[in-house]
Amino acid sequence: MSRPTDTIAALATPVGTSAIAVVRVSGPDCMELAKAIFGGPPLPPRIARHSDYRDVNGCLLDDVLVTFFHGPRSYTGEDSLEIASHGNPFIAQSILTDLLARGCRAAEAGEFTRRAFLGGKMDLPQAEAVMDLIHARSERALAAANQQLRGSLGRHLGDLTEGLLLVLARVEAYIDFPDEDLPAEDRRIVLDELSRVLHGTSRLLATHHYGELLRDGIKTVIIGEPNAGKSSLLNRLVGRDRALVSAEPGTTRDFIEERIILGPHCLRLIDTAGLNPTPAALERLGMDKTLERAAEADLFLWVLDATRPLPTLPNSVTGRLTPSNTIVLFNKVDLLTPGNAHAPLPSPTLPTLQISALTGDGLTELTDSVVRLADAFRQGQGDEIIAINSRHADALRRARECLETARQKVAENGAVELLASDLRGALDAFGEIAGKIDNERMLDHLFKTFCIGK
Amino acid sequence: MIYNQAPFDVIVCGAGHAGCEAALAAARMGASTLLLTGNIDTIAQMSCNPAIGGQAKGQMVREIDALGGEMAINTDLTAIQFRLLNESKGPAVQSPRAQCDKKAYQFRLKHTLELQPNLQVFQATVTGLVFTGQKVTGVRTNLDIEFSGTTVVVTTGTFLRGLMHIGQNKNEGGRMGDFSAKTLSASFLEAGIELRRLKTGTPPRLLGRSLDFSKMEEQRGDTSPTRFAFYDSRDPEDLFHVEHTGEQRIGWHHATNQVSCWMTHTTAETARLVRENLHKSAMYSGEIEGVGPRYCPSIEDKFVRFADKPRHLLFLEPEGRSTNEYYVNGLSTSLPFDIQVKMVHSVPGLEKAQLLRPAYAVEYDFAPPTQLFPSLESKKVENLFFAGQINGTSGYEEAASQGLLAGVNAVNKVRGEPPLIIGRHEGYIGVLIDDLVTKGTNEPYRMFTSRAEYRLLFNHGSAELRLLHHAKAHGLVSPSRLARMEESKRQIEHWIGFLENHKAPAGQGTFGDAIRRAVTGTNSTHVMPVLPAEFITQPEALRQEVLYRVSHSGYLSREQRQIDKLSEIEKIKIPPHIDFLQVRGLRKESALKLSEIRPYTLGQASRISGVNPADISVLMVLIEASRGGRADA
Ligand SMILES: Cc1cc2nc3c(=O)[nH]c(=O)nc-3n(C[C@H](O)[C@H](O)[C@H](O)COP(=O)(O)OP(=O)(O)OC[C@H]3O[C@@H](n4cnc5c(N)ncnc54)[C@H](O)[C@@H]3O)c2cc1C
Ligand SMILES: Nc1nc2c(ncn2[C@@H]2O[C@H](COP(=O)(O)OP(=O)(O)O)[C@@H](O)[C@H]2O)c(=O)[nH]1
Ligand SMILES: [Mg+2]
Repeated sequence: MSRPTDTIAALATPVGTSAIAVVRVSGPDCMELAKAIFGGPPLPPRIARHSDYRDVNGCLLDDVLVTFFHGPRSYTGEDSLEIASHGNPFIAQSILTDLLARGCRAAEAGEFTRRAFLGGKMDLPQAEAVMDLIHARSERALAAANQQLRGSLGRHLGDLTEGLLLVLARVEAYIDFPDEDLPAEDRRIVLDELSRVLHGTSRLLATHHYGELLRDGIKTVIIGEPNAGKSSLLNRLVGRDRALVSAEPGTTRDFIEERIILGPHCLRLIDTAGLNPTPAALERLGMDKTLERAAEADLFLWVLDATRPLPTLPNSVTGRLTPSNTIVLFNKVDLLTPGNAHAPLPSPTLPTLQISALTGDGLTELTDSVVRLADAFRQGQGDEIIAINSRHADALRRARECLETARQKVAENGAVELLASDLRGALDAFGEIAGKIDNERMLDHLFKTFCIGK
Repeated sequence: MIYNQAPFDVIVCGAGHAGCEAALAAARMGASTLLLTGNIDTIAQMSCNPAIGGQAKGQMVREIDALGGEMAINTDLTAIQFRLLNESKGPAVQSPRAQCDKKAYQFRLKHTLELQPNLQVFQATVTGLVFTGQKVTGVRTNLDIEFSGTTVVVTTGTFLRGLMHIGQNKNEGGRMGDFSAKTLSASFLEAGIELRRLKTGTPPRLLGRSLDFSKMEEQRGDTSPTRFAFYDSRDPEDLFHVEHTGEQRIGWHHATNQVSCWMTHTTAETARLVRENLHKSAMYSGEIEGVGPRYCPSIEDKFVRFADKPRHLLFLEPEGRSTNEYYVNGLSTSLPFDIQVKMVHSVPGLEKAQLLRPAYAVEYDFAPPTQLFPSLESKKVENLFFAGQINGTSGYEEAASQGLLAGVNAVNKVRGEPPLIIGRHEGYIGVLIDDLVTKGTNEPYRMFTSRAEYRLLFNHGSAELRLLHHAKAHGLVSPSRLARMEESKRQIEHWIGFLENHKAPAGQGTFGDAIRRAVTGTNSTHVMPVLPAEFITQPEALRQEVLYRVSHSGYLSREQRQIDKLSEIEKIKIPPHIDFLQVRGLRKESALKLSEIRPYTLGQASRISGVNPADISVLMVLIEASRGGRADA
């Protein structure tokens, strides 16, 4: 059996919230890839090196730990790379996407293990264990994929596939039944339906785009009276001094936005001007803007100074706070003394936490709670958000390419069998995500649409 | 009484399109062959329309020719009209089609069989098989004569418990005027072979002099016919092994004096007759239990499924030069005879038509082909092969293709040679057989170009190039023809290289670039470059093939890349006696499917519905492990 000639890549750690995510690459191109991505002298084998990961366009994705394994001294027996990035799925996925853009192929379930076996890295008694392992892995992958396909991804893809099959049936009819009494070929119907499928594919693909996800992250607004510690909290969460922190109330006039990744979520964190019951003229301006922001927020972090009495907020804000979109934070708990408890809850139903933006106390609980809220929020969004993975994106990108060529052919009255070839290219790509699409389904459409018979 | 003490290598049962190719292929490979058929006068009879070829089928006939089969040349020599379908489209989807003189077609094939060395033809109806253990060892006939054979190829078409319907009227038979093979089915069932029912239909035949052709539109043949056989490579002696140079026989006018077909259509009155009498149709009154195809096999289906379509096209096709009989393409029905007459008379030009034969539907037993290996040998009974309509297909070309393969593989079995298996990437015959044995069929299976993943590579002109290595490996063509095929392949490769690497005049880049711009470019101002004189003088077929491959190189190499990607698993053979249910790591569902189909290669396994890539990985590891070898073995 000959050695595989292509280089494969996949996430080696489960998608989730582990501290690091490992992307594994195996195949003959590893050495070249390492040089292209990390530059510098060749990586010494088996030594983890700290390095910036820059994508094809030169953008910094993350700082990673990369290890090069020289075949046959690797898991698969081939040249391999292990790239450990920070554990959030967005970074790992964008690294994987970049590797695919650089010519790697997304690995199939069990393929690393299979290569390991074929590369002679395992002896015969291990074969059965390998088979069990492939089985277990694929069951897990299958379960995950099924879950995804049962959801909105499956629905969208099913819809696009049906549309494409209709187009294909219309095209195939004129190829296979030139002697039948078919209505005059109507390329307009084909063009319309094709455009719809193309549009849908692009939209689905857009849900993958890292930048877009960032832009569309969950809007999380930090509100509270001046000096409660809002800016300090933002800085804590972001991890560096982004917002100006000051002992003077009312420092933050303009909005400071930071994107942070918490677990599987991307949050758009917005620091606001304090909501002062008796504002000065300039403050007034900032407050109005805060209120505007609050109106479109997805989640609220309401910061209270635990050492002070409970402030009153404008009704337009309090009216929007619910247990599923708000966390009340009693800040500055480091200043509390045993006899000096904070004021009672503003609303008994809102979840509360005690934190200190200064010392970092309670921050872990806070991030956990935010992830929980964001989880629920994402689910509630239903159709609007479909986070597809790199493998899907890779297939969809190829589908889109085929569809674009096809559309151009329809518009220019290009050769019909080549048009069909492009359409099939797109269909095959859809099939890589949802399972192979049998030609019988196209024939079903064809015989339903056209009267064919001797 | 046992006829022969030394068994025939191959016994073929039924001289239809499948049986004839099977018998010829086996005999031509040098095996002692017996062809038994119920009636020698109906050898190679076209049960339905008098045409060979058409979309995908035309390509298959050329593939049959590349593998040394007879259908192409028999068609060329007995055709009365040639048309190249899809002439305005690209080469990949152009298909030759011919109307044949039905009787001439039969006579020539009968004569060919008679003159074939190693082949004995005998008229007898096969009534049962003789088994020895789980092997077949011969056949029984209605004459109480038994024949013993090492292998048996069953090509009995629509004859197994054939039952014909015209309204409520029922007659037994595989085809009008023919018998029904009633006892053979029992033999299969006894051996554990499953049978199911399918149905199909045929239109009425009319008397030409009762028709008014002035009310119809004429459809003429092409002025320069596209023939099916590869004359650039064929030996003169295999072209003329029945006929002799300069000889003229009835109907055998090689592509000259073409005859026209005629087009007319149904009317509102036809539609009314069908609708009002639907309950009397055998197909619609529940008289028939067999399953018909998804496409419309009858005029009833057309009016019911496409109620808003006011009229349907009909073609009158002449059945030969020496007959006045016409076939009404488009008017298949199982309505009662009196309604049929009215229906025919409701059509422009057919007002006074006289019916020579009624339309009818036929239902028959078929053996689901997933019970076969890709060699077409039965999984249940060793040395027993099936080909043609009995495998659930429909069409002469589909039958002939299978017959050819079954014949070759019966001989390979006798000799202990590996079977001839054509890949899905090599031709329509490969697609046909892989579909049949891997997926089976619920309706009469007919070939469409859309069934082929690599359709663009299957232009009819390339059949020899695609199948050359098989013809060579199994000795299916003469050494001199093989040499010419190989030389032409070399020439084509040479010229492709030349055109890609040499600059065209007038700064158009290479010849290849200029050709692509002219042929597939969208800007119509690009013109074909002036090609080198030496190229222009090459044979036309060769030039066309070169130009096609150059002009479509982008699309063709895309298909080739897909083929290469899958080639690894296509090459890995699955050991025949593997017990899938015992394989660790296979999902239960896949294990069951795999043990039913028992795929020949990992490639075939991957096409079974419900078998996923992880299952293939598991099998790959298992196969490597059981081979004892590992990396780079
Ligand atoms: C009514 C009708 C309509 C059809 N319509 C179409 C159509 O529209 N389009 C299409 O593509 N195809 C059609 N066909 C199918 C086409 O005719 C067949 O697919 C093709 O002929 C099958 O070839 P075959 O060699 O498998 O079998 P057949 O051509 O049926 O030949 C079987 C041969 O076996 C012989 N035989 C049968 N049983 C025995 C036995 N027990 N012992 C000895 N000899 C036996 C018979 O005499 C016959 O010569 C139709 C067939 C019929 C009958
Ligand atoms: N002791 C203590 N001081 C804090 C804490 N959080 C913020 N501060 C201080 O409170 C003051 C106001 O903080 P700032 O973040 O600017 O408040 P904002 O107006 O709500 O943005 C600053 O002097 C911070 O150092 C805390 O948790 N503990
Ligand atoms: Mg501030």
